[in-house]
Amino acid sequence: MTSTQARSSSVLNGLSRARKGVGLGGRGEKTPRPPRRFFNRTITLALLVIPSVVLVVLIYGYPAIYAAYQSLHNGNLVEVGEYVGLQNYSLVLHDPVFWQSVEFTAIFCVVGVFGSWAVGLALALLLRKRIHAPGFFKTLLLLPWVVPVVVTATSWKWLVATPSSPVPRITQDLGLGQLLFLASPGLAKVIVCVYKVWLSFPFMMLMASAALAGVEEELYEAARVDGASSWQQFRRITLPMIARSTYISWVLMFIFCIGDFQSIYLLTGGGPVQSTSTLVVLAYETIFGNFQTGPGIAIGFMMMLVSVVVAVVLFRRIRKAATS
Amino acid sequence: MTDATVGAAAEVTSLAVPSESGPGATARRSGSPRWRYTLTVLVITLVLLIPVFVTVMLAFRPQLQSTSHSFLTLENFSYVFSQTQVLTWLRNSLIVTLATVVVAVIISAPAGYVLSRSRSKAVSGYALLLFAAQAFPQIVSIVPLFVLFASFGLDDNLLGLAILYVSMTISVATWMMAAYFDTIPVALEEAAWIDGCSLFGGFLRIVLRNSLPGVLSTAIFAFLLAWSDFLIAVVFLRSDSNFTLPIGLQTFFSTNNTEWGYVMAVSVIVLVPPVLVFSFLHRHFSIGGIGGSLAGR
Repeated sequence: MTSTQARSSSVLNGLSRARKGVGLGGRGEKTPRPPRRFFNRTITLALLVIPSVVLVVLIYGYPAIYAAYQSLHNGNLVEVGEYVGLQNYSLVLHDPVFWQSVEFTAIFCVVGVFGSWAVGLALALLLRKRIHAPGFFKTLLLLPWVVPVVVTATSWKWLVATPSSPVPRITQDLGLGQLLFLASPGLAKVIVCVYKVWLSFPFMMLMASAALAGVEEELYEAARVDGASSWQQFRRITLPMIARSTYISWVLMFIFCIGDFQSIYLLTGGGPVQSTSTLVVLAYETIFGNFQTGPGIAIGFMMMLVSVVVAVVLFRRIRKAATS
Repeated sequence: MTDATVGAAAEVTSLAVPSESGPGATARRSGSPRWRYTLTVLVITLVLLIPVFVTVMLAFRPQLQSTSHSFLTLENFSYVFSQTQVLTWLRNSLIVTLATVVVAVIISAPAGYVLSRSRSKAVSGYALLLFAAQAFPQIVSIVPLFVLFASFGLDDNLLGLAILYVSMTISVATWMMAAYFDTIPVALEEAAWIDGCSLFGGFLRIVLRNSLPGVLSTAIFAFLLAWSDFLIAVVFLRSDSNFTLPIGLQTFFSTNNTEWGYVMAVSVIVLVPPVLVFSFLHRHFSIGGIGGSLAGR
């Protein structure tokens, strides 16, 4: 596809150059052709993209600068406050709750990305087998992603949170004791991570399905002729062939995970005792719970720094996978 | 003689099921793998969907102290429709979501076309800008945006909410449109240009007219995002009459005694529109293409 585009765009440039040539050469003729084709093209493309650029600059650019300014002041929601330099950042960095959040954010992102990838890929591979009504199952399996988080967080809460909920009752019947999943810090962490995997696997399944559709069946046939086991086929054909899409889905899912506020906030509210509070939830609590705008935004910026570093590292690998 | 017969019989069976090639052909010998795989997928699907079933089940179950003895009831729904502002919230949600969908498509389609067709430095910069926007944490921008929108009277306002939702969808929506436009041959437009069609005309009449699945995908994505947003709505909306459904749902929770029947009835009202949209249009929905669209530039 890319090569076709490259070719056709070079054709286009050639065309406009040729037109220009005609225009310049035919200046003395009665019907001069103005060399405006290239100019027109650029202007039209710019006009097509301008609304989107304006929106991005207004809704992302301006607040980014204003927020950077706020993070250097000790203000609240209403006032900017006094200039305090980098004090907000050092305040946050010396807060043990911050480091606790960093730790859980890391766990949450790693489990969220790789857990949902593993489940999504497994289901995408399973749906490629010859089964009855694959489209029906594919649609049903997308429901966790389609149904709003406010709804699923509610039903997960009903399933695990209260003493009369089904899951604690089942664990009690199994002799594991009555587990109050959202009252104990350790179990709450597990539930939040499982919930995130449950929410995200459909997206990974879609990405994997699209990538798998591009892998040619002949490769597998050739491998089977050579006597490759199905694990070898998966390891040596499937994974390398979908590597590029896999890395991209990791980058996207990482960004979705690190920025995810609502699934954690609606399920546990960051508790108990802030055990399931990621950096976003902590920033939200700092800004809207404690009315400390400066430190809250400082947390947000440090979070962004991490996500940019991780995204850049992963993008390097994508470029490598794309060129090799 | 016998060998030849067996060979011929084998050939007949393989002819009888010409479509039985690939992975199915080898597995066919052991019983009926197609049904076994289907059963596996069915069980996995049922287990994974328990939380969704629970919501629907509880919404139609009578309250404990209820006088009705039937197994199923609509009294939860009649209560929330008559005693609470669910209808207003439903209307608000629909208005904001539909506005978001329409504007997001109108803005992201031309932008996606530029992303798909142009290879200039400026466009690479724009692609980077989109990625930066997607990676920028909402929690950082939400306070400055609140201050900005409040100064225009757009806080606690459905129009303000729709503007923010459009901007939230813009990156992914543009990638999705670009990914779809990538699949449309440039030769079609070139033919139109030679016939005297302008660049914009080519985009509108050739590319966009052939991109209904791409437009629908983007629209579905924008719909899901706007319909289920919680963070922006909870910060920006203050008065009951402006709530969207996700915020309205939170008013049903109380610390001591949550009426799960009412909560689940409202939950069902929240989940029906996206599920309806998706079940009618899922054939057109593909988001996997954004992988190529992201890595290509």
